[in-house]
Amino acid sequence: MILKAKQINKYFTEPEKHQVLHDVSLSISEGELVSVFGESGSGKSTLLYILSTLDTDFDGDLTIYDHKIKRLTASQLIDFRNKHIGFVYQFHYLLPEFNVLQNVMLPAMKLSLKSKKEIEYDAMSLLAEVGMKSFAKRPAYQLSGGQQQRVAIARALINNPSLIVADEPTGNLDQKNSELIFDLLKEITGTKNKAVVIATHNSKIYHNSDRSIEMIDGVIRL
Amino acid sequence: MQYLFARKKQSFLAMIGVLLGVTTFIVMINFMTGVNDFLDDAVFNGSPDIIISKDVEKPNANSILSQGSFLDNYDKIDSFLKDKNNVQGFAHQIISPAILISDAKQLPGSINGVFPTQEDTMVDLERRLIEGKGFQSLSAKNTILIGISLAKRLQVSVGDSIKMILPNGKNQQLEVSGIFSFGITTIDNVRTYTSAETLQRLLGQKNHITNIHIKLKDRDDVSIKDDLVQKFQGITTEDWKDNNKTIVIGNKVRDILTWSVSFALLLVAGFGIYNILNITVIQKRKDIAVLKTVGYSSNDIVFIFLLQSIIIGVLGAFLGILFGYCISYLLSTTPLDTSDFIIVETYPINFKVFYYVLGFFFGVLTTAFAGYFPSKKASKVDPVTIIRGI
Repeated sequence: MILKAKQINKYFTEPEKHQVLHDVSLSISEGELVSVFGESGSGKSTLLYILSTLDTDFDGDLTIYDHKIKRLTASQLIDFRNKHIGFVYQFHYLLPEFNVLQNVMLPAMKLSLKSKKEIEYDAMSLLAEVGMKSFAKRPAYQLSGGQQQRVAIARALINNPSLIVADEPTGNLDQKNSELIFDLLKEITGTKNKAVVIATHNSKIYHNSDRSIEMIDGVIRL
Repeated sequence: MQYLFARKKQSFLAMIGVLLGVTTFIVMINFMTGVNDFLDDAVFNGSPDIIISKDVEKPNANSILSQGSFLDNYDKIDSFLKDKNNVQGFAHQIISPAILISDAKQLPGSINGVFPTQEDTMVDLERRLIEGKGFQSLSAKNTILIGISLAKRLQVSVGDSIKMILPNGKNQQLEVSGIFSFGITTIDNVRTYTSAETLQRLLGQKNHITNIHIKLKDRDDVSIKDDLVQKFQGITTEDWKDNNKTIVIGNKVRDILTWSVSFALLLVAGFGIYNILNITVIQKRKDIAVLKTVGYSSNDIVFIFLLQSIIIGVLGAFLGILFGYCISYLLSTTPLDTSDFIIVETYPINFKVFYYVLGFFFGVLTTAFAGYFPSKKASKVDPVTIIRGI
């Protein structure tokens, strides 16, 4: 079991107090691709930010990789995220001033467990896996959306995290690229034995995941 | 690190701002302290720090003649001064007004009768000689050293002879053995030196002196004045500040001007950097959010932006001191149209290394300070709000 969430409740206080998540509990294991499906405003993104430790302002229990998230200090949380969680967003968010390779290396350079040469080697093999090796030296802003998203997946994998969190990874892509990205994420789940959580309103992803969770108004419908 | 060099144009402009601030600071402080040092050197080194003279109740032009203007018991004052720590040296003088007559003209002057060996420790005349020899040449009989302006007006040069008429009617032919210039017209126009013996003989006052000149180790500590007045009756003292009030005030005004103008310029440069970084932070919120999600802490973010402003600061300050040096150097070789007050060929410039270090330090400090607040703001970016797309 990589991730275990128990009775998560989340409130927004602005503009008025409003409960976004109601007693959400779920657990995810290695090698499992879980999609969280829902309309916008259903709370799926909010849940995802909590599961990915970006948002720690919630009630309930969250354990990832045997760490009680609420007990970690801010700086411990940053290190934890760096080591154990990879992110993929709807708007790929590569740093435009950097080239593709540098973008992929970024989290590992921060972690600095390996030498720059090793990191570069790892990054190149990851880029090969996502089919972007030939673009390694290109500046990130020259890439198309689908290409950028593949680079973002390589970046999410560079520190070999156990959990990959993807927020609407195909939300901004056409059908063909959407399928490509989803297949890539699925492949990672299988071959690398990662846990992958995807928030999406793409029904194809919903139907092809190992497990799908539907959220309506902050409540999980199984 | 590439990340830092985004917004090259604005960063460049910010750097120019720092550069101008530091350049102005360097040029101004070099020139202002140059003027201050020049005046200090000319006025204060040409005159003693403290002058002791007889306290004359009704001073008038002829009082120097009367018996009353000579110091009594000056050997007691001497032994008192010898025990004082702050006294670097002192010298006796006998000073009298005189009329100087050359073949061309006759002009009033002030004649200082000095003891050459003593006076050498007080005034570095060698450095100020235009022609001829210094105080030691006065040990030859009937010789005189005169100021450059006076020499010009009398149309005499070294080796020429001039006639001195003293207030008691005695006159004496003297040979000019040296011409000096302190750079200050009020001195160079009237001052002459002859040996004390000559003057004592002519005034018929053997072993009498009118003044004791004191050089201090620490010129700012003039407490010895009060001690002297309390201990010895019938004397009066003056220090360098009393005699040169306008120069002392002028120095202060120049200091204030230099610091306030430099400060204002650096402040403006600082605001420029603050502004540019602030905009950068707003534009780069997404990137900052990404950096935060992939493991960069708030401190890392502060560091990145602070580093950017410090690089701007270091570059600007470095080029600033370089430019400042070049401009100062040009100024120091630029001829200055001399006024009547001072005689100087080019702008007096002080190239002290300390001011360059200070200018550099100020430039970097300003930018670091200006960069700190936007950096702090950047570090507070909440990745969730950004990624949500709010």
